[in-house]
Amino acid sequence: MPETGGRELTFAQAIREALAEEMRRDKTVCILGEDVAEAGTPFKVLSGLLEEFGKDRVLDTPISEAGFTGLAVGAAMTGMRPVVDIMFGDFITLTMDQMVNQAAKVHYMSGGMWKVPMVMRTTLGATRRSAAQHSQSLHAWFCHVPGLKVVMPSTPFDAKGLLKSAIRDENPVVFFEDKMMYKLKGSVPAEDYTVPLGVADVKRAGEDISLVATSSMVQVALGAATMLEEIGISAEVVDPRTLWPLDEKTLIESAKKTSRVIVLDEGYERYGVTAELASVIATGAFYDLDAPVKRMGAMHVPIPFSPPLEDVTVPTEQTVFEAARALCGR
Amino acid sequence: MAISVVMPALEMAQETGKLISWLKKEGDPVAKGEPLLEVETDKAVMEVESPGDGVLAGVKVQAGAEVPVGRTIAWIVRPGETPPAEEAHIESGRKTAAVAASSQAASAASAAQSTARELKISPKARRLASERGVNLAHVRRSGPGGEILASDILAAAESTMTSPAVAVDTGSPISRLMAERTTQSWTTVPHFFVVREVDAGALNDTRQKLAAEIEQSRGVKLTHTDLLVALVARVLAKHPRMNASWAGEGVRVNADVNMGLAMAADEGVVAPVIHQADKAELGAIAVQRRDLTERARSGKLRPADIAGGTFTVSNLGMFGVDAFSAIITPPQAAILAVGRIADRVVPLEGRPAIRPMMTLTLSSDHRVVDGARAAEFMRDVAEAIGNPQAWLG
Repeated sequence: MPETGGRELTFAQAIREALAEEMRRDKTVCILGEDVAEAGTPFKVLSGLLEEFGKDRVLDTPISEAGFTGLAVGAAMTGMRPVVDIMFGDFITLTMDQMVNQAAKVHYMSGGMWKVPMVMRTTLGATRRSAAQHSQSLHAWFCHVPGLKVVMPSTPFDAKGLLKSAIRDENPVVFFEDKMMYKLKGSVPAEDYTVPLGVADVKRAGEDISLVATSSMVQVALGAATMLEEIGISAEVVDPRTLWPLDEKTLIESAKKTSRVIVLDEGYERYGVTAELASVIATGAFYDLDAPVKRMGAMHVPIPFSPPLEDVTVPTEQTVFEAARALCGR
Repeated sequence: MAISVVMPALEMAQETGKLISWLKKEGDPVAKGEPLLEVETDKAVMEVESPGDGVLAGVKVQAGAEVPVGRTIAWIVRPGETPPAEEAHIESGRKTAAVAASSQAASAASAAQSTARELKISPKARRLASERGVNLAHVRRSGPGGEILASDILAAAESTMTSPAVAVDTGSPISRLMAERTTQSWTTVPHFFVVREVDAGALNDTRQKLAAEIEQSRGVKLTHTDLLVALVARVLAKHPRMNASWAGEGVRVNADVNMGLAMAADEGVVAPVIHQADKAELGAIAVQRRDLTERARSGKLRPADIAGGTFTVSNLGMFGVDAFSAIITPPQAAILAVGRIADRVVPLEGRPAIRPMMTLTLSSDHRVVDGARAAEFMRDVAEAIGNPQAWLG
């Protein structure tokens, strides 16, 4: 890991810095999406980029996700490196044909003659009181499709390094940001660095139980691990960082070490990312498991607008703490 | 919180246990793991350790009582704490008692033992148990749902290395057990006997030939008994009916050939078991025989050592006995009594010759086998002793 020299950025600032550095480095990198230019997105992630790079490289589009995602696929095939902004992850439903049937397939069906080096940045995460159409975590949909890479940063450091890798990748990459994490601060080096796709990170070492967590759930897992430490349970927190490619080895090694695993992901638990990760772990570490692999994700309901209801649909530090304690028999 | 002390199931099929004595008095302080009471099963007397730290209280069962396994017989409480009120269950047996105990205290479940049918065990614990040879019937179940976990297996593996599992030194229970079991066998099992003299020349030759190599590779002296166990086990594998049990209404054929080996302990005879002896190499049998003999002599046999036998060999040759008839160990169907090897004049190709001869006497349960089956088995045993190399492979 590069030296940070104590420099701290928010998650949003780290994303913006990665984009700015890549746009300076490579003239083919451009941004398109709704409210990305003057507004800098509703989350203010892109503020200042229009001023530096101009409206030819930071393009406001009509409200037409299918249209401008298709535009980006074509631009990528013809030499650009577009970064598409889909404001809420819920809106990826409108981009599915462009991503699944075009972006994911072009390299394969052209026998390698075409490539689609584009990035789709979008969001996930509940508890923002945004109701059922603006609160879902639908990243599992893209994980299901061969030809797409799926990146899930959980810290400002990882966000900058992973976004640079995604932009430089020759394949379509979908980059999910937790909209509740934009203000999270962390050490970020000023220099150029990348975090490779497909390498998990042990965010906290432990002995008694592994909490395998993605994106928004990594901070939840770290909070739960602190609570568990107080009752004498040493929890390891493992962040896959990318769901495809997936670093199976690190997940399995952690499971073998601790013998107990909870898999956490904010997507719907049923048929979700947690099912895939749990299966990888159960297969790879079966003879070292002392308990069934437990999955925790969003409840199988539309995310409610009502704050008290919304808060119980996704795992929290308290529910993870209690599940881990039960799994350890305490 | 109070921790219940329950009557443990020390063997797979055990229904009740007899409380021999309390090693602590009510009100005595006890530490987790300290011997708390002695329990007699139908095979051995065992010390039961305290499931927790505290004070012994609420003793419900006194020495001499037969108690269903899983029943709470006392409590370990904190000083000044009173034991919980009576459980609601009691006559309904093991399952209810076990459930009641686990609801009283999480660690009570760890003290409650389980039969194989109810056994829940984690994949890791199962692997460790198999790697370390831990018998699952008597390890703690500390999982949240009463599962056996890896830590339980590791603890069990450690304790069998040091624990004085079978308290043979008390003497009298073993001799009393012997009296009960032989009386039961002799009065309820219809014994019949088939006797056969065999030439032990080839057996002697084979022993001389293999002894040096086994001593070098295994560090153990090969005995006639080892050879007999290996050969008889291999013959038994071809005669499943001899490796069977009378099961009340019919015959149960046993899947494995587990050879009991009768040997003298302080106060009586014990028959520790060499499991799957038909598949075990001769050297491995010799090592097991030596280890079991040492444990029997020092009163340190474990329940797993004496469980699961399907046939027994009893050799009194070393005492100079020519031949004898043995009493069957139920539910086994037969026992083979082996006399000494002595030079005798026998006719050989029409002329008198001096050969090392040995007399074998097979006792069989007539409910399981008849004379013809027993004779066929003895014919193959004689054949194997006449040509050991062919059978040892």
